[in-house]
Amino acid sequence: MSRLLGAFCGFLLLLLGGHGTAHAADPVGEALDQVIAAARADAVGDCAAPNDRLVAILCTGRLRVGVRRDYPQFSMLGQDEAHGFEIEIARAIAKKLGVKVEFTGVTAANRIPLLAEGQIDLVIAAMGHTVERGRQIDFVRPHYFLSETIIVGRRDLPIAGWSDVVGRTVCVTVGNFTNTELIHRHARLLLFEDPVQLVDQLRFETCSLVAQDDSFFAAYFADPDFAQHYESKLHFSPLPWGIGVAHQGGEKLELALSLLSQIFHRDGVFLAMARENHVPTGFLEAQQKLWSTADCDQPDGWQRPGCLMEPPNNVLAPTSFADRVTAFENLIHDYSGIAISLPMLKTEDAFSLLRSGIVNSLILVVGALAATVAVAFVVGAMLSVRNVVLRGAVRALVILVQSSPIVLLLFLAFIITSSAVQYSALVALFASIVALGLYNGCYAGQAIAEAMATLRLETAGEPVHYGRAIRRSTTQIMAFLVNATKGSAIASMIGAPELLNTLTDITSFSSERATTYTVLLIFYSALVGAVVWLTNLARRAYERRGLAA
Amino acid sequence: MIEILPDFIPRFLTGVVLNFEIAAGSLLMGLLIGVPIALARLRGRSLGIVASTATGVMRAAPTFVVMFFLLYAVPRQFSLFGLTVFLSAPMVVVLALTVYSASYVADNALEALQQLRRGSHHAALLFLPNMARAFFVLVLSSSTGAAIGVREAISATLRQAERLPKLSDRLLLFLLVMLFFVATLQAAYAAVAWLRQALTARSAAPAQQTSEPQAEIGI
Repeated sequence: MSRLLGAFCGFLLLLLGGHGTAHAADPVGEALDQVIAAARADAVGDCAAPNDRLVAILCTGRLRVGVRRDYPQFSMLGQDEAHGFEIEIARAIAKKLGVKVEFTGVTAANRIPLLAEGQIDLVIAAMGHTVERGRQIDFVRPHYFLSETIIVGRRDLPIAGWSDVVGRTVCVTVGNFTNTELIHRHARLLLFEDPVQLVDQLRFETCSLVAQDDSFFAAYFADPDFAQHYESKLHFSPLPWGIGVAHQGGEKLELALSLLSQIFHRDGVFLAMARENHVPTGFLEAQQKLWSTADCDQPDGWQRPGCLMEPPNNVLAPTSFADRVTAFENLIHDYSGIAISLPMLKTEDAFSLLRSGIVNSLILVVGALAATVAVAFVVGAMLSVRNVVLRGAVRALVILVQSSPIVLLLFLAFIITSSAVQYSALVALFASIVALGLYNGCYAGQAIAEAMATLRLETAGEPVHYGRAIRRSTTQIMAFLVNATKGSAIASMIGAPELLNTLTDITSFSSERATTYTVLLIFYSALVGAVVWLTNLARRAYERRGLAA
Repeated sequence: MIEILPDFIPRFLTGVVLNFEIAAGSLLMGLLIGVPIALARLRGRSLGIVASTATGVMRAAPTFVVMFFLLYAVPRQFSLFGLTVFLSAPMVVVLALTVYSASYVADNALEALQQLRRGSHHAALLFLPNMARAFFVLVLSSSTGAAIGVREAISATLRQAERLPKLSDRLLLFLLVMLFFVATLQAAYAAVAWLRQALTARSAAPAQQTSEPQAEIGI
């Protein structure tokens, strides 16, 4: 920034030197011409090995621009033809500089390295300006576009606000920082690799809601058939897009492009290009108004805070022990050759999710075990009563529960609970505990009732103490307690914040999967092992008490 | 509510077919893995110990978590014996359920093999109704595929319920689906019970069942 200010001061001196009369009505345009003219003057004597990017462009007579190869509406780069909003911007810049434009296809991964290595002069490639990226390259401001993440779903799906997203599954792409917003809104995330997959899942109704950048959906909404069936339900996480310029030797180029961007906004050039390419125009319309105001339409408008958007900061705060975690990962790699990554321990957000996931999983399992025992005792007793009507009614309930997929029972419990009280993590956990307890408890209760029936046969109608039936069916009860533990992760389906869900949340923004889901598998297997061990201990203790009695 | 049925029923039934396909695939894989394990357990010694340990591990594995492990931690496309394998979402469910079905098959196959050794052929045949019962339990368990976007019957039901604004309509839809499963499964269980009874009646020494598939063994 200081180098850019230096370039700007130099340009002001030039301006004060008596060249400011040609554009009396357009000081910004005049300032731009001055910068280009100064660079041209430098180019006359410094073309052997120019240190300045703008001078180098003028010397070679070509502007090398990195653009996306296949980003509909924005940049489509073919063998013989290139078109799209960003292509138009690059051409307009080249025209203003009086040079030829050359396009290079770039990806999200290589666009910054190519710029830093000097293989391209500019990046205009759907690149959001963030604080983190701003440390690697310079971004031309004002920004030329603003994208937002939108949640898209069928038109007949009733989503009025964020409260309707709570507990619902939203399909997202892995490694997307904006997923953190969905996590905070208590949505359940289902991860996919590629944005195109999201649209397929939406069409196949695998996903009822998908979240992705609105610039990605621009092409789809341009299709009348798609627009007829789907709509944007919610939008969040605005991200300004900027033209990228290299730190090294890019000061004058950045200054020239900043002034040119001001003019393009003010004169509606960006807006016209956007309309021509069916790109969303809301941001550009607002920017045209802004840059037409007297306050912003100034040669130094690009550095006035009131005229510019601040880039979002998507750098997550590291944990106090992040360095030691990295050292541990390196150690494992050095000794075993196995590359592991533990993102859940490296940032405060991820570590907080991990802790809450573990605690909630334990609450869930303890609750499911208690509910299973409670339901088992009640169902066992009711199935053992002499009253035929009551026994028949409970028997019908048991058959209904046993013959239904547990996923259906889970959602049934969730719908009923959430219709009575507002959604919270506690409500989701409660509904899950009820469903798991009811399901496994019905089976265990049936085992108790069957034990009771055999005892009655053995004692030829003598009264049988209920405790004896429980003791006889201990093995089955324990088996269903283990089953309840094994199935507890199913609570993630209704958004209960247990470990499966929280690790999926962490994966959604960290991208790491192999180690994360291995950790998850180990955790739940250990939990099942612990419950097996505890139930065996409890059974032995119960049997000893029975023998003593 | 009635107006949604013409659109919902075909999608639901298509989903039911997928549930049956997943269950069949899982049971088939379970047989392919479980029977050799049962044979190994029968041989005893070190191979038997390894096979018994493998059965125990598979029996205790939380298959819902295994499903997510396969979905996210294992590459979706890989090469196996020179063939390119693509792990689709239904295939992930099949493999996850196989972890348990293989252990169930191993337990029952071991019992059947022991009955055969004792000369009780009819008792060994009880392996068949046990597999049939396991199949229907796997049908129920395959509904967990809804969690990873498999378009099976419960997934279709949940999608439909999302679009129903009234709570009463959603509850009614769920009840109808539950009744469908009750009718289907009770009929299936009755057939299995009849088969078991017929086989037991022909057996001189009725076999003891090794392990009844408990609840949804997949979860």
